[in-house]
Amino acid sequence: MVDNFSLLISHGLIAIAIWRLISRDDLDHEDAPEPDADAIGFHPRSPLRKPPRRGAGITDA
Amino acid sequence: MRDLFFLGFLACFLLGGFKRPFIFVLAYAYIDIVAPQRLSYFLLNAVPVSLIVFALAMLGYLLADQEKTHSRFAPRQWLLVILLGYCAYTTSTADFPLAAQDKWGWVWKALIFAIFLPLTLHKKLRIEALALIMVLCAASIAITGGIKTLASGGGYGVLQLLLDDNSGLYEGSIMSCIAIAIIPLILWLMKHGTIFPPDWRVKIFGAGLIFACLLIPVGTQARTGLVCIAVLVPLLLRFAKYRFVYAGLTVLVAIVTIPFLPQSFTQRMGTITDYKAEQSASTRVAVWAWTWEYAKDNPLGGGFNAFLQNKITVDMVETSENDSITSVDVTQAEEIGRAYHSSYFEMLGEQGFFGLAIWLAIHVGGLIRMEMVRRRYSHTINPGEQWIAPLATALQNGQIIYLVGSLFVGIAFQPFIYMLIATQIGLDTYLARRRAEAAWRPIRKVRTVPAKA
Repeated sequence: MVDNFSLLISHGLIAIAIWRLISRDDLDHEDAPEPDADAIGFHPRSPLRKPPRRGAGITDA
Repeated sequence: MRDLFFLGFLACFLLGGFKRPFIFVLAYAYIDIVAPQRLSYFLLNAVPVSLIVFALAMLGYLLADQEKTHSRFAPRQWLLVILLGYCAYTTSTADFPLAAQDKWGWVWKALIFAIFLPLTLHKKLRIEALALIMVLCAASIAITGGIKTLASGGGYGVLQLLLDDNSGLYEGSIMSCIAIAIIPLILWLMKHGTIFPPDWRVKIFGAGLIFACLLIPVGTQARTGLVCIAVLVPLLLRFAKYRFVYAGLTVLVAIVTIPFLPQSFTQRMGTITDYKAEQSASTRVAVWAWTWEYAKDNPLGGGFNAFLQNKITVDMVETSENDSITSVDVTQAEEIGRAYHSSYFEMLGEQGFFGLAIWLAIHVGGLIRMEMVRRRYSHTINPGEQWIAPLATALQNGQIIYLVGSLFVGIAFQPFIYMLIATQIGLDTYLARRRAEAAWRPIRKVRTVPAKA
């Protein structure tokens, strides 16, 4: 009785989880992350850091 | 009836896999943890269901995973490959070839799955889904254990966890360790879950499940479980905001709870400090000493189940006081083929110093990597990254609890733990890829303005 109750509740929840997963697009595809402001890559992104000025470093000859 | 239930459930599970191939991976995790083929009487146990679902999971990934180029192979997966290869070698030179083959029969599956699993975990939702399925599968055993403990108080070797079988998670000491190790993961799912978003139902179920997990060591009366709880509390308090308030409350709850615990439980827990008078504990220490001597003579390891050759004799000292006279009784106990009762000595005896070193590198590597992830993301203010540091902490805490619990239980190759390690690797490689993607910029062409004449 207790065993069946335990199996029923856990398997019921697994079934609901699978049902919800099937309809979730982000199971197989995720959007690309927001680009880093400073494009460092290997350091934690600091949200407080001021983003570089648009066009900085690109010079029009 | 139960057979039909499992068959129907598994059929639905696998049907989901044909729509979304990652579901096959979850189905294999379910089969590995719950082992429905062992819970059923005739239908499922007649077919190699585990092998079939593993093949489906592998094929699903190879043929239908649209973004498998996002998979990464981490250094710890290479360590798992080396461990697998080394275990194959020690099995071929084992002291007890047949017994070694027997254990190898399930160890290689656990290791192969642990190597394969992180490749599939290249989406955040997949990592969460695996964590959820692991917890819910363990819940199927924890809930029944918790209710039975509340109803009867349990007892050492008495509490039956769904199955009268001392294998997998159905063994009392193993389940005690795992039940406590998953508590940090349950707490994470309660707060950051998106499959079951946090609401009052999730909170009630999560709290009930944690309570059931805490009852498992009481019901099974496994001393390992009590040690694991003692480790869990400071780990949970490590990052708590009001840790001293919670620490005080924990002590209060512990004091209030003790009178309600079964007497047999408190008596058995008392033997933790008085191990010399208790056969189970004192032969365990003797086996560890034997294993150390054995490893010195056989540094490459004796292969799986090498403990079968040990012969342990221990003097058990029992001191009793009667009318100010202290009497000391010394009795001798002899045991043959005593199991290691410690994952560290299990690795040392079976896989030698090299195997133990690889195994430790896998685990210590996990602790370090999760700490690095936690530190990197703990101060992020990006709402999309709030789940990362707590998950890394939960996976790290679960592993610490396992590593402490496995001091006293031989669970070095427990598949559940390898899934936890795979989740860590999956999280780590997923984040590394996302960071690289975020940092990547195409080289812009420098626009040149034609010179005016």
